[in-house]
This record gives sequence, C-alpha cells and structure tokens, in this order.
Amino acid sequence: MTDQRPPLPPETADISAARARLVEMLLRTGDEDRAAFRDLYQLTSAKLFGITFRICGERQAAEDVLHDVYLTIWKRAGAYEPSRASPITWLATIARNRAIDWRRAQATRRTSHLDDIPPLADSTPLASETMIVDQDARQLHTCLETLEQRQREAIRTAFFDGVTYAELAEQQNVPLGTMKSWVRRGMLKLKECLQR
Amino acid sequence: MSDDTILPDDPGRDPDMMAAELALGLLDGDERATALRRMLAEPGFAQDVDMWRARFGDWFAAWPDASPSAAVWARVDRSLDAPRVPQADAVLRPNRWWPAATAVASAIAAVLLAIVVLRPAPPQPVPAPAPVASAPLPTAPATMLVAAIDPGEKGPPVSAVYDPATAGLRVSAATLADANQSAELWIIGADGTPHSLGLLRTTGASTFTVTAANRAQIAAGATLAVSLEAVGGSPTGQPLGPVIATGKLSQV
Repeated sequence: MTDQRPPLPPETADISAARARLVEMLLRTGDEDRAAFRDLYQLTSAKLFGITFRICGERQAAEDVLHDVYLTIWKRAGAYEPSRASPITWLATIARNRAIDWRRAQATRRTSHLDDIPPLADSTPLASETMIVDQDARQLHTCLETLEQRQREAIRTAFFDGVTYAELAEQQNVPLGTMKSWVRRGMLKLKECLQR
Repeated sequence: MSDDTILPDDPGRDPDMMAAELALGLLDGDERATALRRMLAEPGFAQDVDMWRARFGDWFAAWPDASPSAAVWARVDRSLDAPRVPQADAVLRPNRWWPAATAVASAIAAVLLAIVVLRPAPPQPVPAPAPVASAPLPTAPATMLVAAIDPGEKGPPVSAVYDPATAGLRVSAATLADANQSAELWIIGADGTPHSLGLLRTTGASTFTVTAANRAQIAAGATLAVSLEAVGGSPTGQPLGPVIATGKLSQV
C-alpha cells in the first residue's frame, strides 16, 4: 500500500519509522526476546492502558487487564503478521477485546447491568482526532463526518466504550431496533464512503 | 423505521452489516454466535471483518494515553518467569521458513486441485421426480472427497482427502500454528455449525477417523476450516480463535 504513494511528508515519515520499530519489536518478542518485549511495553503501555482504563472504568481492574494483555502479547507475538495488521492496531485490539471481556463478565455477574458499571473515565477523549496525520485514519474521520450525528455518536461510543447494541439503546433511551437501524445504516454509508 | 426488534438478515429493511458489527463488538448472545459461525463458513465475511477491524483500528490513534503504575511491568516480568509447559516445537513458526515437507504438500494440493478443476463434468443425472422443498443441501458422499484448505498468505493450500469407505480424513503436513497455539480442524456441513474434527499435528500429516455424528456433516460442498486455538484446542466445542484457512470439499 504505502510503497505506491508519493514521498511522505516528514510527520508521516516519522510515523512510518515508529511503526517499523514496533514491528521489529513485536517480531523479536515473538522469538521470545525479553529485552525487545520490555521496550515494546515501554513504548505501548500508555496507549494500551488508556484503552483498558477507559473501558474498564476503574484503575485496579484496568491494570489487571493490562497485565493479562501483555502476557497474551508475549504468547501470541509469534503469530503476528506485519502484512495483515499494523502493530498498534494488533496490540490495541487485544487490549480492547480483553477489556470488553472483563466489562461484560462484570455485567453478567451482576444482575442489573448498566447502573452498576463504573462510570467511564472520560467521555470526550477525541480532541486529538483532528491531529491525526495518517492518511487512512484521516479518511475514516472524513467519512464519519458524512454520517448523521446520532449514527456517528453511536458508532464512536461503541468503539471507545466497548458497548453492545443493548447498552447503546439503553444509554440513548431508544428502542433496540431503532439503535440497530441507526448504526447499520450509518455503517453502510461509512463503507460506501471508505470505498471511494 | 420501526421500533420492533429487527432481525439481522431481515431483507429490505436494514443492510447486512454483521461483519462491521462483529468487528466493533456490538453483538452479544445469539447474534454474536451467528457472526462467529459466519466467520468460519464464509471466507468473504471473514475478510470483511478483517477489513473493518483494520479500519476501526485507525481510530486507536485518537485514543488518549494513560499511565499504568510501575508495578504492572514488574508483575508482567515476574509472570514470564513462572514455570511454563515445555515447548517441543518452538522452532516451528508460521510464515518464516517453509520446510521441504511443505513443498511436497503443496505439490499434492496442486495435483488434487488439478483433478478437481480439470475433471470433465459428470453426465447430468436424470432429474429426481420428487419436488425440491428447500435449498439444495450438500450431497452425501459416495466417492472420495478432497479439499484444498487455503491459508492465504500463511502458505500454500493444504490438501485434505476423505475416504467414505473408512471414514478416514487425511490432511497433509502444514505448519499453521506455532508452539503456543493449536490448529484445530472444523467441518461446517448442512447444519451450518462448526464441529471439531480434532487438532492438526505440528509436524507430518494428520489423520482422523471421523465420528458417526460428524460423518453426517461431511459432503461435497461442506467447508473445512482451521482455527488457531489455545494449546489443546478450544475448550468450548466452538471455535474461539481466528479462522486462518478454509476450503470446500469436492468430489473427485
């Protein structure tokens, strides 16, 4: 993909270099290189903790999940394929999924769900979105802007809070079917825009 | 827009965005189970899920950082020193070096594919008089079945041969999992649900004797799929890990 593009502006070149470094650390981690794993932790733990903290909503649980996330990364790094996913997406997806698993297990354990889930650490984290320099990410941002606000907000909340349709519908106080409809139509529009 | 619960595949109302819904984590319960089944049964669906994961993955850049306490690294580091299961096959890693055995497997798969592709079409049978009530189901096998299980970028197709006379299924040698995972083989037949056939060996060909229950699923048109699971295979009886290779069974 990137090799057919015109020369990269300096900020994008920095991102590419950082990405290449992460790929190398991940591959070395896959070969059970503990020094590389430690470097990987130092470079990525703030990002991954930001993810587990927001979704878990409490520090102690978020740190427990983060511990689990890095053990998973240590075990699975050998299966990482640079051609299939960017390193940060691969790492962040593990963190997000583990945090969601924790959150849903909590919700199931308690009889009534939403009221008992800890409040989100921060409900407006997206100020930095405008500063994204990566071309693909910018396209995602641009395409999201073409959606209706309620569609965009629902998709955003699903991503950043790790919630299900049922939770979204309850938060927004709309029927489940209505929420599904908003999101599905929004995602269809998003897909069409992204394919342009 | 109605307030009724809308079924995921209700035509003419909502578009089918199940791949995006699964990638985003919106689904739970039965809908999630349906989506996971589709991951196995429909390679195109699995690709869509990957595409959406990558797309939404760009959003991680907007996620605010937070600092974990220093104790977390100490805990992680200590955990690595805990006794672990010895790793006999630690040198075998996917997608690095392909041993000579793989080339042989590849050649076998190529031959099988050639047989399947180049074989002249069988004479059309006389149409059965009974009316067809529903969509055609995969046909029960009377002859050998083959499949080329395609792992995409992870390597060449892996051949699978099923002999109905012995209920034996043989899968040629392939390194699809590293030492920290198990590659589990599934059949998705007429009932649309994955049934485990067992774990693939990390070295050499794998042979299975298909149980009577699973034999009912084996037919031309059924799908063989390989998922990556925790060592020892999925504990739940359903695939939990990513599907890394699929192929459809055809009559030889």
